[in-house]
Amino acid sequence: MPRAKRGEVDSASAVATPAVTTKKPRIKRTPESPAAAWLKSRGHEPFEFQRAVWQAMAESRSGLLHATTGAGKTYAVWLGALQALAAGQVPPPPSPVRGKAKRALAAPLTVLWLTPMRALAADTLRALNEPLAMLAPHWRCATRTGDTSPSERAAQTRRLPTALITTPESLSLLLSRADARESLGSVRLVVVDEWHELMGNKRGVQTQLALARLAQCNPQLMVWGLSATLGNLDDAIDALLPRAPIAPARAPVYWPTVVASGEDAVVSSGEDAVVASGENPVDARAPWIVRGQIDKALIIDTLLPARAERFAWAGHMGLQMLPQVAAAIDEHASTLVFTNTRSQAERWYRALLDARPEFAGQLAIHHGSLDKSVRDWVELSLKAGKLKAVVATSSLDLGVDFLPVERVLQIGSCKGVARLIQRAGRSGHAPGRASRISLVPTHSLELVEAAAAQRAVAAGRIEARQVPRASLDTLVQHLVTVALGGGFTPDALYDEIRHAASYRALTPGDWAWCLDFVRFGGPTLTEYPDFRRVVPDADGVWRVEDARLARRHRANIGTIVSDAMVTVQYLRGSRIGSVEESFIARLRPGEVFTFGGRLLTLVRVEQMTAYVRRAASGAAAVPRWNGGRMPLTSTLADAIVEEFAAFDAGGPRGPEMQAVASLLEIQKRRSALPTPEILLAETLKTRQGWHLFLYPFAGRQVHLGLSSLLAWRAGQHVPATFSLAVNDYGLEMLSATPVDYAALLPMLIAAPTERADDCAAGLRPRLLAEVLASLNAGELARRRFREIARIAGLIFQSYPGEQRSARQLQASASLYYEVFLKHDPANRLLHQAQQELLQQELDIERLASTLAAVNARRLSLQPLKKPSPLAFPLMVERFRETLSTESLASRIARMVTELELDAGGELVGTDHAPVATLIEADHDIASTLQLGGAGEGAFKPRKAESRRMSRKNGRARPSQDDSRVDHVDGVGLGMADGVGLGIAVGDTATGAVPKRHVPKPRLARWPRERPATHVESDAPGDGEDALGDGKDAPGDGQDG
Amino acid sequence: MRLGTAKMRRETAKMDDALPRSATSGAVWLELDGERVALLPDRAVWWPRTATLFVADVHLGKAATYRAHGVPVPESTTASTLAALSALFDNLDVRRVIWLGDLLHAREAQQPVVLDAVFAWRCRHAAVEMLLVRGNHDARAGDPPAKLAIPVVDEPFNCGPFAACHHPQRVSDMTVLAGHIHPAITLRGAGHQRLRLPCYWWQPRMLILPAFGEFTGGATPLATRDARVWPVGGGAVWPAVRP
Repeated sequence: MPRAKRGEVDSASAVATPAVTTKKPRIKRTPESPAAAWLKSRGHEPFEFQRAVWQAMAESRSGLLHATTGAGKTYAVWLGALQALAAGQVPPPPSPVRGKAKRALAAPLTVLWLTPMRALAADTLRALNEPLAMLAPHWRCATRTGDTSPSERAAQTRRLPTALITTPESLSLLLSRADARESLGSVRLVVVDEWHELMGNKRGVQTQLALARLAQCNPQLMVWGLSATLGNLDDAIDALLPRAPIAPARAPVYWPTVVASGEDAVVSSGEDAVVASGENPVDARAPWIVRGQIDKALIIDTLLPARAERFAWAGHMGLQMLPQVAAAIDEHASTLVFTNTRSQAERWYRALLDARPEFAGQLAIHHGSLDKSVRDWVELSLKAGKLKAVVATSSLDLGVDFLPVERVLQIGSCKGVARLIQRAGRSGHAPGRASRISLVPTHSLELVEAAAAQRAVAAGRIEARQVPRASLDTLVQHLVTVALGGGFTPDALYDEIRHAASYRALTPGDWAWCLDFVRFGGPTLTEYPDFRRVVPDADGVWRVEDARLARRHRANIGTIVSDAMVTVQYLRGSRIGSVEESFIARLRPGEVFTFGGRLLTLVRVEQMTAYVRRAASGAAAVPRWNGGRMPLTSTLADAIVEEFAAFDAGGPRGPEMQAVASLLEIQKRRSALPTPEILLAETLKTRQGWHLFLYPFAGRQVHLGLSSLLAWRAGQHVPATFSLAVNDYGLEMLSATPVDYAALLPMLIAAPTERADDCAAGLRPRLLAEVLASLNAGELARRRFREIARIAGLIFQSYPGEQRSARQLQASASLYYEVFLKHDPANRLLHQAQQELLQQELDIERLASTLAAVNARRLSLQPLKKPSPLAFPLMVERFRETLSTESLASRIARMVTELELDAGGELVGTDHAPVATLIEADHDIASTLQLGGAGEGAFKPRKAESRRMSRKNGRARPSQDDSRVDHVDGVGLGMADGVGLGIAVGDTATGAVPKRHVPKPRLARWPRERPATHVESDAPGDGEDALGDGKDAPGDGQDG
Repeated sequence: MRLGTAKMRRETAKMDDALPRSATSGAVWLELDGERVALLPDRAVWWPRTATLFVADVHLGKAATYRAHGVPVPESTTASTLAALSALFDNLDVRRVIWLGDLLHAREAQQPVVLDAVFAWRCRHAAVEMLLVRGNHDARAGDPPAKLAIPVVDEPFNCGPFAACHHPQRVSDMTVLAGHIHPAITLRGAGHQRLRLPCYWWQPRMLILPAFGEFTGGATPLATRDARVWPVGGGAVWPAVRP
């Protein structure tokens, strides 16, 4: 792949501005190109950016096309591909007359079209097929995703279509075919749709590796990325295009940018002369960034609660807003209702049906866990305008165009500006219509967020996405994939993978470790000949010899970590979708749950399939899908602080800020308002212990690292154990033992003094040492390791067929973590867990700058008598981290003592005398327990039972989908301020109150087979915290 | 009866005075059917009158099994498990060990790298009589080789008032000692603190031992009203809590 270089660094700053660029139109106008003719036959005039892409592709350039949704990106690249690649194969047909002879055999695989989501594939196929008859009748398109039928797969195994629409996971699967090199060698163009969705996560890294492989097979490979709203386009194209690693001298990289707006399309000034004169001193095939500037009117507003002063302080289901949402749906022909999680979608769907029974048949639900047939039906009906509203998750975020949709409702925080714009773009798709999105707050502070989001959009502040660097887990998986796909020689592959941006700086040491890992299982395993995943053959080509390992690897390709999934299916009939095994395991036959918007009764579970029948009614459980929670972006967080400051200054208030005014007045009365100048800290003593609340407004991820650091520092003074909670606004530290936060705080937030030369070199060794120490004391790295272990092939996802035999291989990630920590501390996957935390969450630079920013603000320490509105959501946050500097023994001792006191001071079995009595006394109880004989009956293994046990054993733990608000011990949440606190316990608006978990005496039942997933399912919030980019969406893209 | 933890620990210490301190410090003593037994912090039950040690769910060779299936797990779990057992034999009066099932993890554990280490260790403790009550894993893994001199019996195996089993069950008029579950319990305390620990799990006529093996997880059994649990961690067995 060529790289574009320019000698002088300064010219890089001369990136196009309209004023400069409109001077010289550069794109050649070839009025009657076949593509333009086809568009005209459909009544469209080609846009300038489309012409720009056609020209670039005719010149064999790669590039990135950036335009708003619905602007015509697909046809820009597809028609360009047909002109550039199909035209040479046969003469372009003069008219849309179909030649019979040409149907005989389609052209070989030429174009790979990568899409991040299965849901997009079918729609893309329809779009790609349309111009084929006229422009390339000898081409054939097909899809290959996790949804593709086995017969279709088999047909593709015999012969691949000319253009294949697929996902990153399915592409990796193709690469693992033994004939990968031959079957994929003919690919001349790869189009990566929605690249902005992929580039920031490991699926993007997987894509990079696949592209590097394809580029190695065909050096002339063209790569085009399609991207929507993004803050850092240069990073996006840099990560997309495979290219040789930069020499140490670091030549500056410059991407020519084509801005195509309205009539004119020009290459940015720096490259202008080059293109104009038709010669390029570096490479005539330098890639282009093409920017289509098609402005679309965007309306953002907010649905306000009827009585703002009664609105909830915390909680995230937001069903209080049901009347307003139903009324909004009434107003329009077709509405999309976006929720942030699948559970929330299920709840809202049921609630809307209850509120408007007449919607039956016109209201649908769409999320990634539903079966393809269900999703297809919803998409087609929405397109045809048959649906009044669809409740959806991010599964409908991307791509597919729904012309009838007039308005989008966003339930809860949109979490980021780019996401808000993306979702808004789902409405008003017809030309000339505005996109409209209405934010629906689920609690009071989201009203501030809504106001802030409008402020950020108005100011054009959009987030950048960072590309992950050198994730070894993804590389380890790729090594096995390539070993399956015809094998590799280490030197050649090292060279190849360094063409991928994420591995450009991969050190020989890391590379050697990865090779050792797939061959020996790591350096420490060298002396064990029984371990061999990938082994070099006589010719030095590394291959996988064991067919069983090959099968297991193929079944586990992918970088999306999800739990074992159970298919949900009617007793006789159709599949509805899939839910996590851990949810089904908690249900008993006969119990009712809601899924796909239907009330279902569980009949039985067999071989990873849950058979259900429709239920008439009943209190239904809502499945809970794992998946991280999206963090609020710092772009939006900054805008929120500005809203607070503006409120404090008493400036003009929009409707949102007026609605939330009473709450902010309470915040001012009990504490103070945070502003860009003031660092707000609050302390509180409750029955739970000693709380500190701090509000740096740096976003969830930074708070996670910061809270660990602060807790670790505090623990250095007196050994203590802290429970840490973070949200996007601030963090909470809670200790069961006294801590004088007021005295400690200045020390806690101090930035360590680094040596001047370290600072100059961009190093922060002291801060780094502290952060690493805090990592070891906490659980963050252990959580992160879960994902890494799965991708690197330590943990296998269960899949049908190998259920039984795989059981003895099941171990939880935390078990691996402990064993590695103890016996193989140099394991680089452990290091990766730390590194990923350091990079993605505890970014040292960002942490240092946050500390600096925090110290630059004036500290305002407010001792609280009652929780402030800002503190309250943190107090009731249930997903918490623990960090301890105490010995295990003293932690246990304290808890055991507390438990005894809770139990009324009764002591049982602490020494042999009381226990002996106890045993005697319990003899008669034993006889009433019907334990049965030594036989099987009483102790029959029942997975569901054992899951239930682990749940019942805890204190009442409402599922995630009940309102987030727990009880708050010993805190006076009264009406003392004259303003009621609407605490949304179970969304009182609908009268749905979470079931009380009353512990009942139960028969003893022991599982005979111990499901190993126990360990993980029991960990609090395992995989649910916002670690990394995991969110609701990846589940939707699950594939392979 | 209301006692602070400190006082309880003193009481326990007092009882231990008669015995070698290092061996049973941190242990909890129970009287089961008139027999005094110690729940050791090392996750084994010691019956001093007959110099018997009960050990459940050792899962030897689990890491090797994983490696045989292509999962990279470092091998030293077997060595450290055996070392922990040796330490018990050296410090306590142990003439007989009854393995409560799942001594070997799987058939793949029956390979030289595991068995050689076990054999060397067995030779070191040749004087100790050993008996395996067959567990579900043993049924698949096959009996240990004869040279290890570990005879195998089916559950329940009666010894005194105790029925040594692998699966928790009821045997009339006997107190069952069992494993299989790998019981664990989550302690919760003020300040949203929680700790998950392996534990001894007692309910009438039944005592379930925590897994001895290192590379093992845990499950929380279904609580009954009369169940009692002794958490294990930090070098001690802790006073009973209700699950």
